[in-house]
Amino acid sequence: MKLTRRAFIKSNAIAATAAAAGITIPGIKEAMAKSKDIIRWDKAPCRFCGTGCSVLVGTKQGRIVATQGDPKSPVNRGLNCIKGYFLSKIMYGEDRLTTPLLRMTNGKYDKEGDFTPVSWEKAFDVMEEKFKAALKHDIAANKGKKPEEIVSTVGMFGSGQWTVWEGYAASKLYKAGFRSNNIDPNARHCMASAVGAFIRGFGSDEPMGCYDDLEHADVFVLWGSNMAEMHPILWTRLTDTRLNKKDCEVHVLSTFEHRCFDLGDNNMVFTPQTDLAILNYIANYIIQNKAYDKSFTDKHVNFTKTPTDIGYGLRPEHSLQQKAKNPNKGKLSNISFDEYAKSVEPYTLEYTAELSGVPEENLLRLAKVYADPKKKVTSFWTMGFNQHTRGVWANGLVYNIHLLMGKISEPGNSPFSLTGQPSACGTAREVGTFSHRLPADYVVSKKPHRDLAEKIWNLPEGTLNGKNGYHAVLQNRMLKDGKLNAYWVQCNNNVQAAANINEEVLPGYRNPANFIVVSDPYPTVTATAADLILPTAMWTEKEGAYGNAERRTQFWRQQVNAPGESKSDLWQIVEFSKRFKVEDVWPADIIAKKPEMKGKTLYEILFTNGQVDQFPKTTIRDNEGNIYANDEMDDFGFYLQKGLFEEYRRFQYEGPKKGHELAAFDVYHKNRGLRWPVIKGKETLWRYREGHDPYVKTGEKFNFYGNKNGRANIITAPYEPAAESPDEEYDLWLSTGRVLEHWHSGTMTRRVPELYKAFPDAVIYMHPDDAKERGLSRGLAAKIVSRRGEMSARIETRGRNRVPRGLIFVPWFDASRLINKVTLDATDPLSKETDYKKCAVKVIKA
Amino acid sequence: MNKKLIIMFVLFLAAGFNQQVIAGELQSLRGSVDTDKNSKAPELKKYSKDGEPIARDYVQQPPLIPHKIKGYRVNKNANKCLSCHSWKNYRESGATKISQTHFEDREKHVLANISARRYFCTQCHVPQVVSPPLVKNNFKPVAAITGE
Amino acid sequence: MNEKKSNCNDKFICRIWQLLKKPSVKYSLGALLVVGFISGILFWGAFNTAMEMTNTEKFCISCHEMEDTVYQEYKETIHYSNRTGVRATCPDCHVPKEWHHKVVRKIQATNELWHKALGSIDTLEKFEAKRLTLAKNVWRAMETTDSRECRNCHNFEFMDFAEQGRRAVKAHSEGLTSGSTCIDCHKGIAHKLPDMREVDSSAVVGDK
Repeated sequence: MKLTRRAFIKSNAIAATAAAAGITIPGIKEAMAKSKDIIRWDKAPCRFCGTGCSVLVGTKQGRIVATQGDPKSPVNRGLNCIKGYFLSKIMYGEDRLTTPLLRMTNGKYDKEGDFTPVSWEKAFDVMEEKFKAALKHDIAANKGKKPEEIVSTVGMFGSGQWTVWEGYAASKLYKAGFRSNNIDPNARHCMASAVGAFIRGFGSDEPMGCYDDLEHADVFVLWGSNMAEMHPILWTRLTDTRLNKKDCEVHVLSTFEHRCFDLGDNNMVFTPQTDLAILNYIANYIIQNKAYDKSFTDKHVNFTKTPTDIGYGLRPEHSLQQKAKNPNKGKLSNISFDEYAKSVEPYTLEYTAELSGVPEENLLRLAKVYADPKKKVTSFWTMGFNQHTRGVWANGLVYNIHLLMGKISEPGNSPFSLTGQPSACGTAREVGTFSHRLPADYVVSKKPHRDLAEKIWNLPEGTLNGKNGYHAVLQNRMLKDGKLNAYWVQCNNNVQAAANINEEVLPGYRNPANFIVVSDPYPTVTATAADLILPTAMWTEKEGAYGNAERRTQFWRQQVNAPGESKSDLWQIVEFSKRFKVEDVWPADIIAKKPEMKGKTLYEILFTNGQVDQFPKTTIRDNEGNIYANDEMDDFGFYLQKGLFEEYRRFQYEGPKKGHELAAFDVYHKNRGLRWPVIKGKETLWRYREGHDPYVKTGEKFNFYGNKNGRANIITAPYEPAAESPDEEYDLWLSTGRVLEHWHSGTMTRRVPELYKAFPDAVIYMHPDDAKERGLSRGLAAKIVSRRGEMSARIETRGRNRVPRGLIFVPWFDASRLINKVTLDATDPLSKETDYKKCAVKVIKA
Repeated sequence: MNKKLIIMFVLFLAAGFNQQVIAGELQSLRGSVDTDKNSKAPELKKYSKDGEPIARDYVQQPPLIPHKIKGYRVNKNANKCLSCHSWKNYRESGATKISQTHFEDREKHVLANISARRYFCTQCHVPQVVSPPLVKNNFKPVAAITGE
Repeated sequence: MNEKKSNCNDKFICRIWQLLKKPSVKYSLGALLVVGFISGILFWGAFNTAMEMTNTEKFCISCHEMEDTVYQEYKETIHYSNRTGVRATCPDCHVPKEWHHKVVRKIQATNELWHKALGSIDTLEKFEAKRLTLAKNVWRAMETTDSRECRNCHNFEFMDFAEQGRRAVKAHSEGLTSGSTCIDCHKGIAHKLPDMREVDSSAVVGDK
C-alpha cells in the first residue's frame, strides 16, 4: 500500500490525534498497522522548563520525526510553547559530541593540550587517576576526624535537568562513596532561595498548592515572574481564567515592563530591591486595617524574626562582607504578634511609594486584594524573588501575607513558587543533590538523618560526611583557590551560567591544580573549558523521570539511541564507580565496621547491593505492545532505573518525615504523573489542608506538619539595600534573564534553526532616552561595562521588554554575549543563590 | 547500525592517522573567539519582511510567521494578529486562517471564537530573521526517512 | 441671549459700546488705518506664533496627560524612530497643515483645555477609562477627512508597490479602488489600542 505523501501525513495526523484522545477510529488503526509509514507516539515530559508539560514523541526508524503537545496531560492539555513544539530537533544539531575528548599532547593527557578523541576506557583511566589522587589526599587529611569535620577535594556540579535516578546515583556516589558533600546542582542558581523559605516557613520543601489554582483564583499577583515568556503554558491557563472569569484581575510587579503587562490590570514597575518594602507594606496594610484572619493565625502560625544585616554572600575578605554585622545568620527567634506588627509599621503607603517608585494608588489596589477575605489570591514568583540577595526573606515575606490572611493551602488561595528547570523539584530538591541535603528533605548535618541514610544504603556507621559541602558559588571559588581538584560537571553549562565568569569561574577550570570533567551532548563553553569531555545521551535517548513545580513526577521511556558512543549521565556515574575499591575511598576504621566490604568496588557497594539490582532485565513495552530500548539495562544486566527509584522511595517511608511519598515505579509509566504525597495510590493537590491532604486529621482544618508544632512561621524581615546599586560611574541597573524562544544557555534551542532565527542574538534592552543620552540608538553596538568585565551587544529600544530609565535588561542564552562576565557573584547569604537581577553597570558606545 | 559502524570506522581512522583531528576544531557556539575575550556584537538581523507561508517538517508543528510583527500588539484590549487571521477576517485579508484546534477550551468545549488559552499567539508562532542557521540541524522529516 | 446682552443693562459696558460706535473726531482716518494695520500685523504675528508654539511636540507633552501615556506608547513605534530618521511628531498626525483646518482644530482644542482644568484624564486609570472614547474621536476625524494628515506623507499616487511587501501590495491596491482610508486598517500604529470589542469582536477574547 503506497500512500501519497499528503494522504500519508493526513492519515498519520488523524491516527495520532485519535490515539492521543484514546479513540479508535474504525479502519484507520488496521490500515496504519499495515503501513510501513506508521509513526510510533509515546509520552515524555518536555526537556525545558519547570512547568512540566507532557509531549508526545513521534519516532520512525530510530529517529524522532515529530513532537506535539500531549492532549492527555493535565498540565498542558495538548498545548506546547514554541520550544516544546520543536523538541523534535534538539538532539540533531550537527556538532553533537560522539566520543570522549581528552586534552592531549603527544598522546598523553596535558592540561594545555588539544581535545583529542579517546576511548571510554582511556577517558576513565585518566579520570580515575586524578580522582584517586584527590581521594588519597582526602583520606590522609581526614585521619582521625569526626564525620562533622571531613573535608574533600573532589566535587561535582549537577543539575535540575538530571533525571531523578541520575541525581540519586550521583548523590550516592559522592556522599556515600567518596564521602564528599561537594555536590551541588545548578538549581542552586535558581531555586535555593525558594527552598530556604519553604524549610524555614513550613519545615518541608515545595509548594502547598498546585496548578489547579490557576483555574480557581480570582486574583493573580506576579512578583518578579515573567510567566508569559518563561512558563508559557501556565500563562495560557492564567490567561484563560483572566479573560473568562468575571472580576478576575492580574497584578504584575517587575523592575521593567514585559509581556505579562499586556494582560495586567494593575501594572507596577518598581525600583530593584524595593519588593521587600512593598511586601512589608501589604502586611502593614492588612494589620492596620485589622483585615487579618485572627482565628487562623492564633491556631496555625508562629511569629518569628530573622537576624538582619547579614551580608551579601561574597568572599569573606570583600568589604561588604566585612561590614555586615551578622554575616550569613538566619536562626529564627520567636516574637509576639505585636512585635511583628511593629516591625512592619515603618512601611506606610507614602514611604513605600516613595522608595519603590510605584504610585500610591497602585500599591493600595494591590494591598486591598490581598486584604479582601472574599478574594482568592494566587501569588506567583520565580527568579525575581529567588535570584535576590535577600531571596529567602522575599519568599518568606510573601508567605507572611498569605498566612496573615489564611489564604493558603486551598484552591485558588496559593503562594506559588514556580521553578525554572524540568526537575529542579523532582531531582535536585527531592533527591537532595545539594551540598547540605540527603534524599527527602533530610540533611547531612544531622546525625539521625545520616543514620537513616546509612541504614538504607547499608553503609558502615559513620561513613557519611556530616559537614556541609561546597555550594555552587563556593565550588568555583574553591576551584580557583586550588582546594577542589577533581571536579565533574554534568548536565549544565556553568561557565555561561555562573556570575563573574572571568574573575571567579574560568580561573578555577583552567587552574593547573585541577582536573575538570564535563559531560555534555554539545560543545558548550563549559565543555571547551574542561580537560575531559564525555559525550552524553540526552532526553529521550535514555529512560527518565522528572518532577515539576506542582510536585508532579513524570516518567518516560527511551525512544531512540544516542549517537556514536554517547552514554547517559547515569551510565557514566555507575560505570565510573567500578573503578574504585572501598580502600580507595574509606579509611580502615570505617571498613573495619563491615569487614565483608573489604576489597569490594563502589559499584558493588552502591549499585549491586541487593536493592538497586533487585529487578532483573526485562523487555519494556507500552500498552500497544511497542518495544523500547533501555541501554543501561543492557549494559549492567538489571533494571537500574527501577532499582534506584525503589531504593530512593525507602527514604520517604522509613524515616520520621512524612508527606514526601511517591508511588511505585511502574505506576508512573502508565499515567501522566502524580502529585506527591501519593497515599494509597491517590495524589495530593493541596497540602496541609483538611479534605485535601490525608495527613491532616478531621477537625484540624490546617496542619503544617513539616514543623513539629504543626504551625507555619511568619518571619519578619526588613528592606535592606542591594549588594551593588548604580552610582555616578556605573549608573545603570543590570537585570538578566531569559526569553521565550531559548532555554537557559541556549545549548539546545540555538541549535534548532527555527528557534535560533526567532531570536538570534542577545541584545541590550534599553530605554530610548537612556540610549539617546549616551549617543546610542536602536541597532547600534554598545559595550556594557561593570567593575568585573564587559560585553558587547546591540541596543534594542523597541523590543518586547520596555525597560524604565536607569535599567537595562540582557538575556543570557547567547554564548557569544556572555553577560555573566559583567554580573556580580553576590548571593543570598542564607540560600547561597546568586542575585542575577541586580548589579551596577555603564553602557558606552562600542 | 551501519551508520554507527561507519562513524566508528571514521573515528578509528581519525584516531589512527591523525590523533589531533579535533585539535583546534572543537568550538562552542562562540566560534573562534576565546571564552574570556569580548566578541564583537553582530548586527541586528532583519526579520523576513513578508513572504510565502513557510513549509513545515511535521503536521503538529505550529506555522512560523512569514512576515514582520514589529509593533503588532497583543494585549487584553486587542489582538493585532486576529485582525487579519481571525475566522471573520482571514478572507478579506488573505491571511492564513487560524486552525480549528484553536476553538477548543481546556475542557474540550468547542467555542465560537478562539480560545482564551490560545490568545497570546507569539507563545507558539514566531517570525524568522533572514539568516542561515547557527548550526546545521540533521533532523529528518518522515518523508526523508521513508524515502517518499 | 446675545440680543438681550446688547440691550445694555450694565452701565459700564454701555459706555464702552457707545464709545466704540462713535466715529472718531480726534484722529485722521489715515492714522487710524496705520495703527490698525500695525496692530493687525502684531496681532496676526502673535496669533501665528501662538499657533506655531502650540503646534510642537514639546508643547503637546508639556501636559503629563500626554507625556505619560500616548507619548510613551508612540516612542516604541515606527513614527518615532525608523530607518531614515524622518519622524512624524504629534501635530504631523493630529493637526491639519492647511490654515483654516488648523484654526478649526485649534478652536476645538480649547475644549481640551477645559478638560485639563477638570482633570478628566489626570491619572492613568482615568485615561484608560476614556481611551476608547478618545481613540474613537481621532478615528472619526481621520475617517471624515479621508486620513488627510496621513496623506501629507503617505500618498497612494507615489507609492512604489515594488518596494512593498506582499500583504501591503494587496491591501493598498485594493484600498485604492475600494475607497478605504488609511485609518480603516492602520488603527493603533502609533499608540496602544483601546478595548476593540466594539470594533472587531473576532479580534478580542473574553468578557473584558
